[in-house]
Amino acid sequence: MDQPAGSPLVVLEGVNKSFGPLHVLKDIDLQVGRGEVLVVIGPSGSGKSTMCRCINRLETVDSGRVLVDGQELPREGKALARLRADIGMVFQSFNLFAHMSVLDNVTLGPIKVRGVAKAEARERGRALLTRVGIGDKADAMPAQLSGGQQQRAAIARALAMQPKLMLFDEPTSALDPEYISEVLDVMRGLAEEGMTMVVVTHEMGFARSAGNRVAFMDGGRIVEVAPPEQFFNAPESPRARDFLGKILTH
Amino acid sequence: MGLSTITDNLDVYVEGFVGTVTLTALGAAGALALGTALAAMRVSPVATLRAGGLLYVETLRNCPLPVLVVLMAFGLPKLGETFLWSFFAYGAVAIALYHAAFVCEAVRSGIGSVSTGQGEAARSLGLPFGQVLRLVVLPQAFRTVIPPLGNVLIALTKNTSVVALIDVTDITNNTELIINDTVDPIFAVLGSACAYLLLTLPMGLLVGRLEKRAAFAR
Amino acid sequence: MRLRTAAALAALALTLTACGGGDEQGDLGSGTPDTKPTFEAGTTMARIQSAGVLKVGTKFDQPLYGEKQLSGDVEGFDVNVAKILADELGVQPEFTEAVSKNREPFIQNGTVDIVVATYTINDKRKQVIDFAGPYYVTGQSIMVKKDDSAITDKAGLAGKRVCSVEGSTPAERIKTEVPTAKLTTFDTYGKCAEALKNGQTDAVTTDEAILLGLVSKSPEDFQVVGEPFSEEPYGIGLKKGDQPFRDFLNDTLEKAYEDGRWEKALKDTVGTVQDQLPSPPPVDRYTAAG
Repeated sequence: MDQPAGSPLVVLEGVNKSFGPLHVLKDIDLQVGRGEVLVVIGPSGSGKSTMCRCINRLETVDSGRVLVDGQELPREGKALARLRADIGMVFQSFNLFAHMSVLDNVTLGPIKVRGVAKAEARERGRALLTRVGIGDKADAMPAQLSGGQQQRAAIARALAMQPKLMLFDEPTSALDPEYISEVLDVMRGLAEEGMTMVVVTHEMGFARSAGNRVAFMDGGRIVEVAPPEQFFNAPESPRARDFLGKILTH
Repeated sequence: MGLSTITDNLDVYVEGFVGTVTLTALGAAGALALGTALAAMRVSPVATLRAGGLLYVETLRNCPLPVLVVLMAFGLPKLGETFLWSFFAYGAVAIALYHAAFVCEAVRSGIGSVSTGQGEAARSLGLPFGQVLRLVVLPQAFRTVIPPLGNVLIALTKNTSVVALIDVTDITNNTELIINDTVDPIFAVLGSACAYLLLTLPMGLLVGRLEKRAAFAR
Repeated sequence: MRLRTAAALAALALTLTACGGGDEQGDLGSGTPDTKPTFEAGTTMARIQSAGVLKVGTKFDQPLYGEKQLSGDVEGFDVNVAKILADELGVQPEFTEAVSKNREPFIQNGTVDIVVATYTINDKRKQVIDFAGPYYVTGQSIMVKKDDSAITDKAGLAGKRVCSVEGSTPAERIKTEVPTAKLTTFDTYGKCAEALKNGQTDAVTTDEAILLGLVSKSPEDFQVVGEPFSEEPYGIGLKKGDQPFRDFLNDTLEKAYEDGRWEKALKDTVGTVQDQLPSPPPVDRYTAAG
């Protein structure tokens, strides 16, 4: 496996996780370097979403360690909340706060968690919304937005916390096809600016063009980690070859 | 006898009405505050809090209110001077404690109706548990919680009548005075029914209106 | 004692209506009479006889008069009087709990045939029901804590907290005769006794024999003070205007006065806590108004 240069931002060591009798993560070892974009792919049920959610402890691990910026994730509480504030999370189903305007969604975290003054938070929030291309939707309610707009607002909400790491959990899987590219474009822009990202996705084009490395998961294990060129052109493992074969024929 | 049983005793009904309104207001305020706190306990990430909330709800919910009232009114004084209160205080506290269990379950079901993603998104921003609940989950739960909470409130209003068991002035207790005075239970009780309806019917209308408003606000 | 109080409290809260056992054996009568007495068709007595039971409303929480035991049996002087009456009809008594405030409706609605429940005869009640008897005369008295020497008579109740049962004659009397007393009324004397024990009231007032019953359960806590300050004739409540039935009840009472059944009924119950037992009062065959 390639090791990224410098001290890694995210480290998973021997992580195991079960849901009842279902062993969904098996001995996961993984590192994500600073400024790196790691794309996680694999068939449904391979455990990639669960692994992603373990990084900000939305899922607890049964054994092993998860470290972010050298610090092991603490138990639920104030310290964990502080750590989560530095990790942006983008969900498949957007999860914008349904009872708040788009701008309030974006400013909630900075005001309540970071203690930013309201006026300043709103100004920065509007700038972020403009940056993701929905500056005119600041005062709309989430339900009035298209899926693509909602997901971009969700990305803006995460960015408003000025995170050092962004997690994307299948950010385009719930979108109609015509909205996928506008979200991927925003993510690509982020990657180019040097944001450290873990992206769980089925978008092979994104993986190929924006990822620094690709991690392939199957059956709860990381089967293969490689730069995109190498992975897509000459996958080492039979299972990866099989998976790619299926995707390419469809 | 007859209608005069009611009209001759209007002042007695009014005195009882004031008692019932006071008990309802105090009981509802206490039940709402404690019930919401209990609901927070029941969905908290701390196992002991969850267990404590569950124990409270199951105990209080399954204990008849008259038993609770009498137990408190005559049992608490045995614990010492600190617990020697007025019968009105026992009544109000018992009503609040009992209905807090039902408020808790109504609020908890409301919290359950908010998708888990909302809480996860709030936690991911670094909001602590209390703020996740207060800023994100409860405001959205409020909408679904209004009808069951309204039912609890109306039930509470009617249930305040148990304080007659410990001679606290309310509609029911004063109605008993009227019955003893007039020996006309039918009309005396009809009068008390009117007094309760005067209180609960507007409540039902108010709850309906709140429900509509919350639905539009979304 | 404490256990009994707790049981009584629980029972009062849980049983809104209670059913009397229908199979109580009268131990006071002369057993099953060889020949059942016969009554004129259409009378209440004939109806009760054909029903086979005399439905009696009595207190279930009145020690010495009508008190439901943990066994389910109801015991007391009132119960014994009812048994004498049932015996005379050749039927079994069936007891239903009557509390002070539901005695008139019970009679008016026919829920019970008679009410024998420490039921003071007064004119207000006579307007809606009739009374046979009196079969017993007692007087209102005062019960205080054993260690209390501040209250010794009725005058001492001024400004004090006093507990009684709502709708009862003693409660009404305190309201008019000691208006400064702060009166609390519950549905049972058990609560008054508990309130006295807890210091939630300063005195309990009602008919002396009832207070003696409470003292008999808790002699270490309570005492009865002063002389009775009223005359409470206890009567048997029945439907207004049923003159033949009233005559039958009065006749039966007089018979029981003569043959010693009345005295035995009293001695077995009230007599266990009171040495000086009153003699039977003459029945009052008043002319019903209206």
